[in-house]
Amino acid sequence: MLSWSSHEDGTPADLTAVSEGSGDAGLPFGAELRAFAEAIAGWDDAALEQARAALVAATDERFMLDAAAVAANFEMMTRVADGTGSLLR
Amino acid sequence: MTVVETSVRSDLAEAYELALGHVAAPGAFFTADRRVRIAEAAIAAYLDAEPGPPWVRPYGDLPLDVAHRLGRHAATITAEWYEQVVTEGLHPLEWVEIVGVVVAALPPVAFARAAGLPLPDLPAPRSGAPHGREAAELAPARLNFVPVAAPADETAAVVQALSALPDEWDNLWRMAGAQYMSDRQMDDPLWNRGTLSRPQMELVAARLATLRDCVF
Repeated sequence: MLSWSSHEDGTPADLTAVSEGSGDAGLPFGAELRAFAEAIAGWDDAALEQARAALVAATDERFMLDAAAVAANFEMMTRVADGTGSLLR
Repeated sequence: MTVVETSVRSDLAEAYELALGHVAAPGAFFTADRRVRIAEAAIAAYLDAEPGPPWVRPYGDLPLDVAHRLGRHAATITAEWYEQVVTEGLHPLEWVEIVGVVVAALPPVAFARAAGLPLPDLPAPRSGAPHGREAAELAPARLNFVPVAAPADETAAVVQALSALPDEWDNLWRMAGAQYMSDRQMDDPLWNRGTLSRPQMELVAARLATLRDCVF
């Protein structure tokens, strides 16, 4: 989805941001978004607060809230997939 | 915790309110009281600062132990463990309902934690007996280890995953539409809400899923 949408968007993403957790994927605010996703996936509340503040500083609160909603969606979808043994075709 | 002075999008707030109300209502096989206990077990596991290993069953109660593992160690769930739990007495559709409850209860908590907002409380359970609603016809699936609505395997695995229980399926996709996007919007690689671009949304999604060891 990242590869497809970023290609269609005219800014092909660097997928190492996803696989290795480095860089900004070649996207605006990519480093802040990646750090926010990583902090949500972790359990360090101070790190999460820092990543959230950095994202808000770089963008705005609405942007951060929509990023949080996307993260929540994938806390949901990963559990649907894992909890039902979902396989790719 | 940073105090975020903001208002959450109304469609998202509504989806979360409906999801939590859904948790606290009678389900196909479980009472509302039981569904709230299942949700509490998953949320406690999700927020646990020092979780135990995946194979620990802290409750000695099949539905609660499945919820616990799904809440914190979802990527360790295997078809073999599912079969074992079913052999021990959990009905496959009860398993599907547990997944539905957990994925209804966790996202509002995950969102609030991520956004620095107060964590939501679960509503008081409503009275009433389980309603027994399930798909008109069920089928074994090749793409999932749980039964699904017939015909199986004509859509993606995550799409058919909860289809055996229509109420759980409806809630899941209502939440997905508010948190991320609808099926129709997903077909447009440039669709966005005016905040994150579609590639930015997918970066958050892909990095989180990678860190959750979700291979789907």
